[in-house]
Amino acid sequence: MNLATWVTDFIVFSMPFYFAAFALYIARAIKGPTVPDMVLAVDALSYDLAAFLVLLGILFRAPIMIPCAIVLVLWVYALDIYMAKYFEAGEIGE
Amino acid sequence: MMAVDIVMGLLAASALISVIATVLAVQARDLLKAVIFSALQSVAYTLMYFMLMAPDIVLVYAAVAVGIYPLILILLIKKVGRYEV
Amino acid sequence: MSSLVSWILVGVGQALVIIGIFCDLAASIMMLRLPNFFARLHALTVGSVGGAFIPLIGAALIAAGCDFLGPYRWFMAGGAVVTAIIEYVLAGAGTHAIARAVYRAKAAPLKPIVADKLAEDRGGEER
Repeated sequence: MNLATWVTDFIVFSMPFYFAAFALYIARAIKGPTVPDMVLAVDALSYDLAAFLVLLGILFRAPIMIPCAIVLVLWVYALDIYMAKYFEAGEIGE
Repeated sequence: MMAVDIVMGLLAASALISVIATVLAVQARDLLKAVIFSALQSVAYTLMYFMLMAPDIVLVYAAVAVGIYPLILILLIKKVGRYEV
Repeated sequence: MSSLVSWILVGVGQALVIIGIFCDLAASIMMLRLPNFFARLHALTVGSVGGAFIPLIGAALIAAGCDFLGPYRWFMAGGAVVTAIIEYVLAGAGTHAIARAVYRAKAAPLKPIVADKLAEDRGGEER
């Protein structure tokens, strides 16, 4: 068996599981009862999407598209910190 | 041939998610929830631009729409109040 | 010889990616089923360490083993390892930050609870 077709078949086989996980995360992000739940769902979605983007880069034979995953992970952390700062300031000041 | 199908399917799915997130962001009465829906739409658009093989757009769009735009909006919400009346 | 090394790297990477897929599905189901915010923090931890860190290392091994990607596959493997390390540090830091902020600001309900050691240490008032 050829290595290229083996890797391609494996990544195509792993895609529906990722889609199922993304769908459940998006369901929690849409119907989350409070705002921190939605922040957690978007966080987990983005971290898993970063791993999925690396696998897609292997699937498309495009190694130059790796920095997208690094940038996505870094800026979603920034969103987390903004929300934490908003809630902390809401406790102290007002 | 199979790669074209995968790209088109992923583009359709992420476009649908971005439309749903945009409608929810427009309808939300809680402005903080609107910011989170906007971030969800930005994540879907990041996947779309990755599918369209535009890594430069992804680098700029993720920084602006996930990072800087919620920062400005949260600073503004802290000034003007959280709930829309 | 080089082909055998490539097959071993790809096999180990695929095993790590399969572990990551399992953790990912488990974390998404937990994110939907657990009762409140502080229980869903566990789902985020499983999803970020088991569901993103381990498959990123596996993707780095797969990319290092794929000869058909050309010499840029080392760039891809290094980028995946850097992403994994950044994600491993930042996911825990962000989770702790938002958990502390939400606990202090009382922004999420605390109701299905077993024990609250922090409130007991602060004087035992109930929320």
